[in-house]
Amino acid sequence: MVAPARAPLRTDRLRAVNEPRPVAVELDANGKPAAIRRSNDNGGGHGGQEETAAVVEAVLEMWRIDDEWWRKLISRRYFAVMLEGGSRVVLFEDLVTHEWFMQTA
Amino acid sequence: MSRRPTSSLAACVWIPLFPLRCEEARHEGLSAYPTALLAPDTTRKLWQVSSLARHAGVKPGMTVSQAIGLCPTLRLIEPDPVHYDDCFARLLAALNEISPVIESGELGLAYVGTDGLEGIFGSPGKIIEAIKRMLEGWNVRMSEAGSTVQHSNLPTFRIGFARGKFTAWVAASRSKPDEAVIVPAGAERKFLASQPIAVLPLDTDIHSRLRQLNIRTLGALAALPEAAVTAQFGDVGKRLWRLAAGRIAEPVEGRVTLEPIVAALTFFTPVGERELLVHSLEQLIARALNHPRRIGWRVHAVRLRADLEGAAGGSWLASILLKDPTADGDRIAAPLKIRLEQSPPTGAVERLVLEFTAFAPGTAELQLFARDAAAAARAGQQRALRHAAREVRMRVNRATLYHVIEVQPWSRLPERRYALIDYEP
Repeated sequence: MVAPARAPLRTDRLRAVNEPRPVAVELDANGKPAAIRRSNDNGGGHGGQEETAAVVEAVLEMWRIDDEWWRKLISRRYFAVMLEGGSRVVLFEDLVTHEWFMQTA
Repeated sequence: MSRRPTSSLAACVWIPLFPLRCEEARHEGLSAYPTALLAPDTTRKLWQVSSLARHAGVKPGMTVSQAIGLCPTLRLIEPDPVHYDDCFARLLAALNEISPVIESGELGLAYVGTDGLEGIFGSPGKIIEAIKRMLEGWNVRMSEAGSTVQHSNLPTFRIGFARGKFTAWVAASRSKPDEAVIVPAGAERKFLASQPIAVLPLDTDIHSRLRQLNIRTLGALAALPEAAVTAQFGDVGKRLWRLAAGRIAEPVEGRVTLEPIVAALTFFTPVGERELLVHSLEQLIARALNHPRRIGWRVHAVRLRADLEGAAGGSWLASILLKDPTADGDRIAAPLKIRLEQSPPTGAVERLVLEFTAFAPGTAELQLFARDAAAAARAGQQRALRHAAREVRMRVNRATLYHVIEVQPWSRLPERRYALIDYEP
């Protein structure tokens, strides 16, 4: 059978990949991430949210982005870090709202 | 092994942007919008764009975000290569009714060998008319296949007629939609001389070097000594010079026509009972359908022969042309059973022979659309994906499959680089 004719894709059906997730970050004396705490949604109906913490083993890289000042300023301070256990994530501080977020490396 | 049939006279049938035209033919009103087809590979860039999209500045090879930035109303379409292969296989089958020598190029491009057709149709103009009628019939069948299609959406074709495939292709590329350009015998060189060098199969490097040398037409290239062009561009240059000078007239190479599939049964004792003959017929049909050469094809014509008992012998023959080619045993058997009922053999049958003598590209299974191994592989992959997607949807009760597409791959913000789009195989 021929595949049924499909409707053309609509651009408003695009979903973002690797969206920043809020995270609580403890800083060391130098202002670098030392530990993170984040809420894991373990599914509605099963007790709601659960918090996990992880120690930052090493800060691998740091950089800063200031962009789109002509529209709505994006100002971020990024840290590529290795957590205990060896997993790598990217943390950033939104320098406008001073909130922290985590992304996949 | 059978020799491939060839023809030096060629009619080139070209439907530009064939995949996009196939989509427009099955989506009502799509041609009224700027439209772009995503690439079937993993880059998720634009593959083909409609003229409306092109007017808005959208070009093939752009990323989705670039295109949407230029044209916010752009309609994006996921590619469906199996469907395009199917449409193209039907086009080739339609052309095969005009000539036994058909050679396929890329999707939407086919060469019809016309040697000897003047005896059937007449002048080249008459042959072109016959091809046009056949293409119109193919268009109508396309419209029957798509439930909502409008006739105005159906693909337009261009036809070129000349000696040799290259000249025929150039003529097709110069023709207007639904019209033809005929290059008379002996006039090939004159015709080619005024054509731009872009009609040659050039890579960008050679193209730009030729332009730097101020060579802009095939005539200008052919005016150079062959040895000089060969010295400059090597073997490729030699071939280009010969094409430009009309020295090469590559013939159309047709596919080998399938040999009949034969299944026979010799009875220990001659059989006169109709029920036993019908039973034997069903067995023969099943055996012939299972023949490896039949895979990928539907049966179009069937012949049933019976050798009759007695010193005088004698035979019985029923030839059936199936209106709708099929690979279904019952549908093949039905007209033969009626023939056995209405005009049975006049004696007991010693040997019953069933032959499938003509075939049409299959439609009952995906791989039957395949015109080549790659298409067969794609069809199999598509089927497996569809099955897996159905399984996942059944288990989690919602769509969870997505394509990853590039949106702003250069962005410094990671979340802007890629996006997901629903995947519906």
